[in-house]
Amino acid sequence: MGGAGLLPIIALLPFLGALVPGVMIRAGRNAAATFTAIPTFLALLMLLTLAPGVMDGQVLQKSFSWFPPLGLSASFMLDGLGLMFAVMILGVGLLITLYARFYLSNEDPAGVFFTYLLLFQGAMLGIVLSNNILMLLVFWELTSLASFLLIGYWRHLPEGRQGARMALTVTGGGGLAMIGGMLILGDIAGSYELTDILQAGEAIKASPLYLPALILILLGAFTKSAQFPFHFWLPHAMAAPTPVSAYLHSATMVKAGIFLMARLWPVLAGTDPWFYIVATTGLITMVLGALIALFKDDLKALLAFSTVSHLGLLTMLLGFGTEAAAVAAVFHVLNHLTFKAALFMTAGIVDHSTHTRDIKRLGGLLTLMPITAAIGIIAALSMAGIPLFNGFLSKELMLEEASHTSWWESPWIVPVLATFGALLSVAYSFRFIVHTFLGKPRDESIDHPHDPPFGMWLPPALLCVIVVAVGLFPAAIAGPIVDMAASAVTGTEIHTHFALWHGITPALIMSGIAIFGGLILLALHAPLDRAWLATPRPEAKRLFDGAMAASVRGTRVIAEGLHSGAISRALAVFVVTTVASGLIAFFGRGLPEVSRPLLPIPPVAAAGWLLMVAATLSVILLHRRRFLALVVISICGLMVSIGFVYLSAPDLALTQITVETVTILLLLLALHYLPKTTPADSSVALRIRDGVIGVSAGVGVGALAYAFMRRDVPSISDYFLENAYSGGGGHNVVNVILVDFRGYDTFGEIIVLGIAGVIIFALMEVLLRGRAGRRLRNWAFSEDRSRDRHPLMMVVGTRVMLPIALLVGVYILLRGHNNPGGGFVAGLVFSIALLMQYMASGFAWTMDRQRWEYHSLIGWGVIIAGLTGAAAWIFGRPFLTSAYGYIDWPWIEEFEWATAMAFDVGVFLAVLGAVMLMLYSLSRMARYAGETVNLEPMDYDPSQKSVQTERAPQERGVPTEGEEL
Amino acid sequence: MMSTDLSILLPEVMLAFYAMVSLIVVVYTGKDDSARPLTVLTAIVFAGLAFWIGYAGSGSELAFYGSFISDPFSRFAKVGILLSAAAVLLISMEYMSRRGLLRFEYPVLISLSVVGMMVMVSAGDLMVLYMGLELQSLAAYVIASIRRDSVRSTEAGLKYFVLGALSSGLLLYGASLTYGFSGTTLFAGIFEAAAGDVSIGLLFGLAFLLAGFAFKISAAPFHMWTPDVYEGAPTPVTAFFATAPKLAAMALLARVMHDAFGTIVGDWQQIIAFLAVFSMFLGAIAAIGQRNIKRLMAYSSISHMGFALMGLASGTLFGVQAMLIYMAIYLTMNVGAFAFILSMEKDGRPVTDIESLHMYSKREPLRALAMLVLLFSLAGVPPLVGFFGKLYVLQAAVQGGLSWLAILGVIASVISAFYYLRIVYYMYFGTERDSLDPPSSPVLWSVLMVCALAMVFGVINLFGVDALAAQAAAALVN
Repeated sequence: MGGAGLLPIIALLPFLGALVPGVMIRAGRNAAATFTAIPTFLALLMLLTLAPGVMDGQVLQKSFSWFPPLGLSASFMLDGLGLMFAVMILGVGLLITLYARFYLSNEDPAGVFFTYLLLFQGAMLGIVLSNNILMLLVFWELTSLASFLLIGYWRHLPEGRQGARMALTVTGGGGLAMIGGMLILGDIAGSYELTDILQAGEAIKASPLYLPALILILLGAFTKSAQFPFHFWLPHAMAAPTPVSAYLHSATMVKAGIFLMARLWPVLAGTDPWFYIVATTGLITMVLGALIALFKDDLKALLAFSTVSHLGLLTMLLGFGTEAAAVAAVFHVLNHLTFKAALFMTAGIVDHSTHTRDIKRLGGLLTLMPITAAIGIIAALSMAGIPLFNGFLSKELMLEEASHTSWWESPWIVPVLATFGALLSVAYSFRFIVHTFLGKPRDESIDHPHDPPFGMWLPPALLCVIVVAVGLFPAAIAGPIVDMAASAVTGTEIHTHFALWHGITPALIMSGIAIFGGLILLALHAPLDRAWLATPRPEAKRLFDGAMAASVRGTRVIAEGLHSGAISRALAVFVVTTVASGLIAFFGRGLPEVSRPLLPIPPVAAAGWLLMVAATLSVILLHRRRFLALVVISICGLMVSIGFVYLSAPDLALTQITVETVTILLLLLALHYLPKTTPADSSVALRIRDGVIGVSAGVGVGALAYAFMRRDVPSISDYFLENAYSGGGGHNVVNVILVDFRGYDTFGEIIVLGIAGVIIFALMEVLLRGRAGRRLRNWAFSEDRSRDRHPLMMVVGTRVMLPIALLVGVYILLRGHNNPGGGFVAGLVFSIALLMQYMASGFAWTMDRQRWEYHSLIGWGVIIAGLTGAAAWIFGRPFLTSAYGYIDWPWIEEFEWATAMAFDVGVFLAVLGAVMLMLYSLSRMARYAGETVNLEPMDYDPSQKSVQTERAPQERGVPTEGEEL
Repeated sequence: MMSTDLSILLPEVMLAFYAMVSLIVVVYTGKDDSARPLTVLTAIVFAGLAFWIGYAGSGSELAFYGSFISDPFSRFAKVGILLSAAAVLLISMEYMSRRGLLRFEYPVLISLSVVGMMVMVSAGDLMVLYMGLELQSLAAYVIASIRRDSVRSTEAGLKYFVLGALSSGLLLYGASLTYGFSGTTLFAGIFEAAAGDVSIGLLFGLAFLLAGFAFKISAAPFHMWTPDVYEGAPTPVTAFFATAPKLAAMALLARVMHDAFGTIVGDWQQIIAFLAVFSMFLGAIAAIGQRNIKRLMAYSSISHMGFALMGLASGTLFGVQAMLIYMAIYLTMNVGAFAFILSMEKDGRPVTDIESLHMYSKREPLRALAMLVLLFSLAGVPPLVGFFGKLYVLQAAVQGGLSWLAILGVIASVISAFYYLRIVYYMYFGTERDSLDPPSSPVLWSVLMVCALAMVFGVINLFGVDALAAQAAAALVN
């Protein structure tokens, strides 16, 4: 099939053509219109060369690879349905181009308009030529975009803005929903090619995902084709220039939904959900649209609602799911296109000449604008379904189908409503004719309307020719086209036998009722109109705006309620979710059986536990008195340390108890500069809430620990127990882990600890210079109870203890590798020994005797540890691999040596330096605040009644000459 | 051995070296005066590294016993991270220097953060992962509060830090549980340990690890920091947060899930699918009421992360590919959108109210059109590139047997389209208001245009990113 190669060219032509008018904005309307017509005409021509083959039943296909993993390919197909729509799009496109050339005024930027128009045309062609449903989606949304731009073309009109937004929101949203439907459809069929999907009808209908796919696809189709309850956007889109209304909103774009339903008819139609969703929606839309149309005074609004009504009719026909109904739908698509486009153009002409579209101000135009009137009347008669015009034929077919369709076991509902819809259609069509063209001019202010130039009335006139020709000779003119398209829709050969006269059929009777009823209704229009206006009814735009505003408000409440900016709330959400997911995992898998018996509770353990509980409760009671709270907290720490001893973890106990001591001491020093009590700043309810959170967290962690301690859970501790000596040369597993297995971590940790010390120091510098520093300088110490800040007993005691404590530290450092201890603990023990000096003898005294900078201690620690680790490289081992061996010291003993020792020294130095640096920072603060110091505490003379209270300048933190703080 | 390891690590080492050296040099020389040239230089270094990594790297290599992985997957992510960070640096210069925020620490901190991200995406070990993550985060905490005289900025930094610390804690808890129950921190080892009967401890670890990652990608419900931080931080910093770190964290998540927990897809699939749904909907719904465009972008990014997670949730190779493509597209769109936001000024002061965009198209038709393209692309409207990203992840979900997730995703995308369209509506059809200052920066203009053009012309072949992503995904999932 050589012709298939033309398909992508046809689809691309409008896009390429769109570039031309876009760049020639200044060239004027003639040039722009011409360059719009050329690609359209070329595409139409190419299409027509392919037409004979397609009419013979060929299906042309051409495919290019695009995104294969997505199932997205640039795949084109032309069959009867596609051909019919493509010709409609291009043919009407040509007429509209001509019409728009005369419709647009000189001031309008014509180039932009025609670019958008071609863009739209290309997108629309893409939809009908796509053989890939994903590519179809691409073009589908592109039509929404182009329509958005076209509706908003006249930006100065506020209705245009509203209309454009509403149209885009509704159709764009529907299109996005359709993506899901298409994906599911393709997934069921195993391919996204339409030709494949059309073969997979059975599988699709049987799939459990059929219903969601159907709903999502219909959402797209219904929004696009303005079906109830999404019909409201279409009338508001009428703010667009009339050529746009005629082209997009009656002839082509709104038919995209119909096209899609027809396209997928073989795979989706014929099921109960399809019938009840599609046919019902169509029926409601048809009647509702017609009813509203009857009472619209704006010519374009009347036509818009009539379009809604006719689209409903088409939807309903497709929804019936029978072949005959599908034929009727195809036929009506064609007919509706011709008369509705002509009517819109007529309305545009009327608007152009009279500068109003208000039907109540018009009248008697037949004499003033005879050509326009003739066109309008013919098209409107067709719309009303009067014999000899094409609208009659398809309406007849529709009524025929409706007459034998039962809905929910009731044979009456569909025929009655369909007749009622037809009746209303007659009424508004005649209203259009009578109130616009007949009678007398009603408004004198409209001066001298006249027929437009030839170019403007030619397009609708041509359409009217088709209206009449088809109406008179349906079988000859429309027969082959409808056969072709309907065969493509249903997938079976269809041969129609259109005729003007079928005898007296139910459809004819219904039609008669409709015509007479419609005329009666029109006669009663004036009172009915008053009644209509008086009845309160939902106005779609207000509802839409209201819904939008409400959703914006609602979401704002949600968003602001949830994201109030309170960090506690953020933390709460965080924690609750994590705990919940943990719980789900927990209960999802369940725990292994309890495998360890409960041990008896020894009285000492029970006492310790009670002490801890008591201490915890006391903290709650005493927490506002900070000093007491600190004392009580230290009891908790002590009990935890003892707990470690009890659970045979002496190493941890040792570490815990030293850490505990250092922290408490530092806190004690820091407390000095803080208020003595904590202000109560939360309400009782908040405290209860926090209490509940605290208790549940504690109980939860306790329960978790209990659960795991009762069970033999596989863990990694065996590995370390086995390898501690062979791999790291130590018997103290914890220490071996720290300096060997996890040496990296430890190395990182001492660096972090060092950094923390330095940061505290640096922060203190900043602090002392700022407002806090000024406050400190004016610090008024409360009257001390004890006259002596540095009691003699304590001074002596700590000094005696210093060497002993240091010795203990060295001992702990040395034994660390095989017994509880190590660099970390040793560093802390050293720190405690020095801390005591600070506390007992005063900062100044101690500082005087300090020999090494604490910064450098940290630095040396890190360097030693790092060098030890790096030494492993010399021996071709990875960083921080430890080695050990034994030296025989003659006559004394055999000693073990391990590189881990050096590493531990590094840890020791870093820890010591960091802790002391923190202390030093505190001491700076103290001296800044002008703490009095016994310069020579040992020489304190009790006979003198007062301690030395003079504040030495350098100790007040006031910079002396030449000293940089 | 060591030298081979280091040569694999060379880009990271070089960038870290660059950051430290430039810090020291600048401290002792020009300080803030040299911030401008340093920023440009850093952007050039980023771009150079990106090209180097992109072109020179081949195959999969392991360094340090498998704890550091250089494979097409990590290279894909690194190139994305470096390029987007470079773009953010360039677009931030004008804004930062005009407000006296262009301190020399800014490019240095960004460099360090980028080193962290590069380590993250190459991590083959829980500890390397954590190191990279923390390096990235710590630098980010500081950058968030770089505007020290602004309460909002410091508050943003502090919040980010506190919540980030909590998430790090959870992540560490998860990592230690994982380690405790698998006996190793190497992903390959965890993979083997998870192959048999999965213990509950490992599942716990997985859940906590996921919570930590979810925080980094601001997936709901771990997203709470995002709106405040996005709003409080200076706009260029927000742009940074919205781009590179998201890709890094997402890549890291994919890496851990597939390399370490690849045998228990079913277990993490549920969690990720839940995060995806929650993020998509929360992001979409909460953004509707926003007037502040930075907050709006925050919710938008939450929603986008949900979509990217959807790709990951499928648990397939195609899902990873989809996620990578989605992220690449997301980065481009966000860089472009932020280039636009950065140019919003009135009387020399930055404006973030979307109401100020009324009738923007009248004064700046080209910019408005570019932003329209970006917004439609963000909304995932065909035929722009953003649609292909959505299509990829939706397709991945459907193919992975998660049709329900795809349907929910489609619904969320309909909701989220609404607020993007609202901005377009203001720009094109709003009412006349006081106008914004005419933007002047040529850098912002060109970045905006390049991104917008990419959104249009990318539809032809996505610039080959899909093939690269496929290669990257294949390296990860095997």
